[in-house]
Amino acid sequence: MHATIQKPIDEISKYLRSGEGVFVIGCDNCAAKCHSGGIPETREMAERLKGSGVNIIGWCVPQPPGVSLCKLANTKRVLQEEYGEQVKAADSFLVLACGQGFHTVMDATDGGVVHPGCDTIFGGETVTDNFITEYCSLCGECIVEYTGGLCPVTLCAKSLLNGPCGGAKNGKCEVDRNRDCGWQLIYERLRMLGRLDEMDKYVMPKNNSRWSRPRSLTIGEGEATFRSLSGERRVASHT
Amino acid sequence: MSQLTQALEIGKFVVTGEIGPPKGVVLDKCLHDAEMLRDYVTAINVTDLQSAVMRIGSLAVSARLVERGLEPVYQLTCRDRNRLALQSELLSAWALGIENVLCLTGDHPALGDHIEAKPVYDLDSVQLLKAASSLNQGYDMAGHELESVPSFFLGAVVTPGAEPLEPQVIKMKKKIEAGARFFQTQAVYEPEKFERFMSQVQGFKVPVIAGIVILKSVAMAKFMNSNVAGISVPEAIILEMEETKKDDRKKKAVEIVARIIRQVKPFCQGVHIMPLGWDDLIPEIINQAELGLQVRTRRAEE
Repeated sequence: MHATIQKPIDEISKYLRSGEGVFVIGCDNCAAKCHSGGIPETREMAERLKGSGVNIIGWCVPQPPGVSLCKLANTKRVLQEEYGEQVKAADSFLVLACGQGFHTVMDATDGGVVHPGCDTIFGGETVTDNFITEYCSLCGECIVEYTGGLCPVTLCAKSLLNGPCGGAKNGKCEVDRNRDCGWQLIYERLRMLGRLDEMDKYVMPKNNSRWSRPRSLTIGEGEATFRSLSGERRVASHT
Repeated sequence: MSQLTQALEIGKFVVTGEIGPPKGVVLDKCLHDAEMLRDYVTAINVTDLQSAVMRIGSLAVSARLVERGLEPVYQLTCRDRNRLALQSELLSAWALGIENVLCLTGDHPALGDHIEAKPVYDLDSVQLLKAASSLNQGYDMAGHELESVPSFFLGAVVTPGAEPLEPQVIKMKKKIEAGARFFQTQAVYEPEKFERFMSQVQGFKVPVIAGIVILKSVAMAKFMNSNVAGISVPEAIILEMEETKKDDRKKKAVEIVARIIRQVKPFCQGVHIMPLGWDDLIPEIINQAELGLQVRTRRAEE
């Protein structure tokens, strides 16, 4: 899940030039779940902007139900076939979705002018319908085998790999005394699992070249290829 | 070989002090503070953007101490520099005559005065120690050979009052394996707790220098109790301070600190006194704690 939160409407209004014809686009997957760009939010954004004098050409949340805006083929089909006339008439597109969905609209409209209507805040677990939280930082080099399945890159404010700093008090982190110390959680879990010896092992510094952006994944016949500054990593995949 | 290395190697009970670089470019005040410590300490820690507050760097101030014949413990944190900068700073430090390095994680920028800064932490303190040890062996982290080689005396920190203590002890062991040859601790106010900690780490056979922070007021003690990790000033000490007349506050501060030093002395290899501006109390603390003068640090003219 890519978690998103809407930008303030005053900020969005500043992006739009006088008389600009705007088509508003949401996402029926992650943004819908975050209530930042589903059908009700996209309709409401279009209506509020229209009410404040913006030239709204129309709005849509590409279907079928639950589909992600970041699936280019679907988004392109919907925008060019189902909303072809409005898309042609629009000067720009306001996207209520994550940064990937945002760029998908740019591709689907052959390089149209796109405005971000949301901030993309993190990739997270949908713990309940009302709570999403971050357990992975997408670093490209998973080390949770050694930390009881809890990622210190994400759960520790300093992303420390070899144990806690001296800043935790009563199990809470120095940056926010309401937040659990990630290493306290890791320590307790390893102890519970009877695998505390994992904490004795030296963990090497991260290979940040695997965290270099932009990265890509190509899924080919029988193999998948990950490309980053660390080079190409090819693995066999099921065909 | 630094005097701190020598003193610890021969098993001398050492005293180290600490100064904080200013937010500005004039060093008179902090060099004066260092000068006050000259006859009483073996080495002086120089903090690295303490509490994540932007100020002049520990490298420049450490170098100025070297120039004056005072021995610095150069503090280097992982907060603000990636592995290129950390290794380069270490080489610079050696070229400026700095031998003792204390490798720390560093307080998070959220605690300081530039809360929007990017926290770096490319390395953690264990990895930094390993990188510095590698430089001592003539290689950088990428395995490339250095043209000339430093010989740092590497130290690290530990929090004896942490609860739970076990993760701290595990990390302490990793720091030793990574090359830490001495430890300085978070402030100690509970000698019994400290003794228990020392009995757990005795087998590590690495000198531990107990942290001593001068208690300036009841408010400070209470603030540390609720905000600073691993510190708990016992109620008895707070009561003792509350019952002291304002004019006698400094006298009482000396008495408390000297007593703690006498109590922890049998279990550790030295004390690290952080005077927080009350540097003038150091001679009397040393006197009341019965520590005597330290190895006199070299004077520039010698």
